[in-house]
Amino acid sequence: MADLHARTESDQTPAAAAPELTRRNFLSQGAAALAGVTAVAAAVSPLRHLSAEHVPNLDEFLQKHYKEMTAEDKQRVFARISQEVQQRHQVQARLSDPPPLDGVEYVYGLNLSRCIGCRKCVHACVEENNQSRSPEIQYIRVLEMEKGSIDLETADHHYDPASVPNPDKYYMPVQCHQCANPPCVKVCPVEATWQEPDGIVVIDYDWCIGCRYCEAACPYWARRFNFADPQIPSDKLNPNMAYLSNRPRERGVMEKCTFCLQRTRVGRMPACLEVCPTGSRKFGNVLDPNSEVAYILQHKRVFVLKEDVGTIPRFFYYFDERGGRYREPVASPDVGGEA
Amino acid sequence: MKKYLTFLWDCFRLSFVGDWRYHLWMTLLTVVTLAGLYAYCQQLVHGLVATGMTDQVSWGLYIANFTYLVGLAAAAAMLVIPVYVYRNLHLHDVVIFGELLAVAVILMCLLFVTVDLGRPDRFMHLFLRFNFPMSMLTWDVIALNGYLVLNLHICGYLIYCAYCGRQPSAVFYVPFVFVAIAWAVSIHTVTAFLYVGLGGRPFWNSAIIAPRFLASAFAAGPAFIILTLQIVRRYTSHQVSDDALLTLRRIVQVALLINLFLLVCELFTEFYTDSAHVASARYLYFGLGGQNALVPWIWTAVGMNVVATTCFMLPASRSLGTLNAACVLAIVAIWIEKGMGLIVPAFIPTPLGEIVEYTPTLHEVLICLGIWAFGLLVYTIFVRVSVPVLAGQITYENRRPREGARVP
Amino acid sequence: MTQPIGSAANRARAFWVPAVLFLCAAVLVLNPLPFVSPVVPASPIAAWVTDPTPVERPKLRPEYTVAVFDYRCSDCHRIIPSPAETDRRLTQHREIELVHGINTRCFNCHHRTNRDAFADDAGDEIPWDQPQRLCAKCHGPVYRDWQHGSHGRTNGYWDSAQGPQTRRKCIECHNPHRPTFRPMHPAPGPNTLRMGPQDHSAHAEVHDPLRLKRTAGHHGEPAAHQ
Repeated sequence: MADLHARTESDQTPAAAAPELTRRNFLSQGAAALAGVTAVAAAVSPLRHLSAEHVPNLDEFLQKHYKEMTAEDKQRVFARISQEVQQRHQVQARLSDPPPLDGVEYVYGLNLSRCIGCRKCVHACVEENNQSRSPEIQYIRVLEMEKGSIDLETADHHYDPASVPNPDKYYMPVQCHQCANPPCVKVCPVEATWQEPDGIVVIDYDWCIGCRYCEAACPYWARRFNFADPQIPSDKLNPNMAYLSNRPRERGVMEKCTFCLQRTRVGRMPACLEVCPTGSRKFGNVLDPNSEVAYILQHKRVFVLKEDVGTIPRFFYYFDERGGRYREPVASPDVGGEA
Repeated sequence: MKKYLTFLWDCFRLSFVGDWRYHLWMTLLTVVTLAGLYAYCQQLVHGLVATGMTDQVSWGLYIANFTYLVGLAAAAAMLVIPVYVYRNLHLHDVVIFGELLAVAVILMCLLFVTVDLGRPDRFMHLFLRFNFPMSMLTWDVIALNGYLVLNLHICGYLIYCAYCGRQPSAVFYVPFVFVAIAWAVSIHTVTAFLYVGLGGRPFWNSAIIAPRFLASAFAAGPAFIILTLQIVRRYTSHQVSDDALLTLRRIVQVALLINLFLLVCELFTEFYTDSAHVASARYLYFGLGGQNALVPWIWTAVGMNVVATTCFMLPASRSLGTLNAACVLAIVAIWIEKGMGLIVPAFIPTPLGEIVEYTPTLHEVLICLGIWAFGLLVYTIFVRVSVPVLAGQITYENRRPREGARVP
Repeated sequence: MTQPIGSAANRARAFWVPAVLFLCAAVLVLNPLPFVSPVVPASPIAAWVTDPTPVERPKLRPEYTVAVFDYRCSDCHRIIPSPAETDRRLTQHREIELVHGINTRCFNCHHRTNRDAFADDAGDEIPWDQPQRLCAKCHGPVYRDWQHGSHGRTNGYWDSAQGPQTRRKCIECHNPHRPTFRPMHPAPGPNTLRMGPQDHSAHAEVHDPLRLKRTAGHHGEPAAHQ
């Protein structure tokens, strides 16, 4: 019994406490409580550095999902975003919400025989879509591939020769393929990403909770997460913005290539295609039988990446070799010399 | 209702009572929890860039711990099977500790998921647009929260009945116990399916992941409980028979054997086939492209696993010293295997073949330690409260003397 | 039988708990683990990287620049007679380097008498602003691809109903005298967050997975499956 008491002094019930002990009890309990509260306050003290822009106001907190927003809701949201852009960059943003065009389904073609790996598309995309420069976010990744292999394990992402193309390699730019069976859409727990009728997979940046399940699910490593506050130089900000594509994002949400829907949904070419010097990029409406992409799908030997994963991408690669990549001749034919 | 509030208040007060070892333990856990809270506040201020995660390795230590703890939670409730299904009464008195551990561990799991979110302030979006049944994360949300509620009810009911001095009525907890058995298996299966269903990650896209999860969970969970029951036995008045520990040992034996067998299956399938899909496994076990940060970890884990399994199979592990050592080995080995050995390698190389290695930052580690400390804190409080209440020493009836009135 | 929870002995011992917590609070307030940002500032991108102008900036007019003056080709070539076909020396336009495969004859493309035009297969004129008809003489398949848009650049609008669509002509990308597309310096590669070392030069030997580069006498060690 005695040792039971000794072992179980924690199982005590309090007996009467003499008045002095009550005061001491009060003091010691008070001290402990105060110490606890102080320690917790100290632990959360870093929050004093949390800037106001990172704390959602009531409007942002109650903002609905894009698909449920009425026209007035959208106006309010666009006004808020424009105001934020004005405050942060002193630039007047033109925020639009172009709907998908009827009878249009986009397809992207990429001529691997023409891509020289110059990476101009990467940087044109960054400028057009207001991507963060530090930390660096780039939707497009150009792979330098070994000729004879389409195994992405052999790719070099960080090639930096004096000049491209290297005649022994070929170059494969990869970005979001806007798959017809997108695994990212399947896994999003809050439906923050979905596929629009024209094929583009979009993200509602104000709905995403940042769980990054979609980033794990994408077989093409096409989705990017804002781990830090995105930094965009104000003089490079593209003011022509769409809510679902290139309006500035905040940290903690996903983003990705949207086929420049702020341009393509009004009929323009995407930025990556515009800048490509060799014309290896082809874009258009596959439902139009007279489009460039319809011709390519019909006449070129197109293939997709990781077809076996079943994503049904709408980004088609093809080779168009005719004599192979030329190496410069050692001596030029003699024009201007003796006959 | 008043009785219930008194019960909660008594539990609250009781959790501050103990000898100096108890206070030391709780203070230590509180300090670590506060350090974790501090690091998390910094993460809230600066964003997830405070962690070591990148676009290439977008899930790291948080999800690794989450995966491990879901297994622990599942296994904790599996103590129930021998008692309720096989009527093995050795474990009857310790089932409650398994359930309480499940509650504490599920809380840790939910915390790990919360600290991993980029926008935790938007968690209520889950209630507004819930991509059920397509997204496995939604299944996981339902499974984990349901499991928490289930176990809270079972433990809470039993403890509250003891507090009120009445016999618990079987209909209010036995059916829930049986549901908890099935639910325990499902929470870990659903968590496994989170990873398995991704075709773009060949390291995960294998049918063996879910069985391996369960096998390693049923090894690590009961091993953890073997250790905690001995602590309960030593520091409280609750009796824990050696037979209970040995029954748990049997469970761990079988689970470890199955886990090792499944590991062999996985290694054979990967390395004998030697196809392009083996890149992540090759990175994990041998290094890839000169990068081999995880190689020492995984081989340590495999070694510890083999030693632990051998130990458990030998009669020498009937003695508590050897048993405890083997338990620690198993727990640590399975933590490495499931955490670093499962989550991180799936991201290396990336689907485009890039290799970017992952190192958790100090902030990340501190947050993980803080959550672990918090879980242990909660579990200690549970044990601290449940033992005297279940033993009948703290009841509603004898609360009046405890409120400072004079007693002879 | 039972002892008080709040016994003096217990309470006295527990005074160190608040002390420890206060100490913890003091340490935490002093920010013992400051956040050091791993984000590196971005290096600026040169203007040419995002410039969509085609690489060759041809005049698309039959002009030749001498010093600061732009002369129409026919200004001189009305007066100066052409040499005999067999005399292949160039006395003017010597800066032109003709590296066009087996096409080493100027008059394969240029009209013999009207230098403001090109020559088609029948010897008739092709206007200067339609170089594609000239190139099509020999490069039939490429020309067909170009007509359908799968070769060459199309800029502006993919939907010509909504805006102007510009099909770039051959010589906007290909220098007609040296048509191989000129190599260029690549724009900077990726430098993402916490990327780590990405030097692959040491592993160049693994980049032959299908062993296409086997040579005689070299038994070709099995390429590590990387």
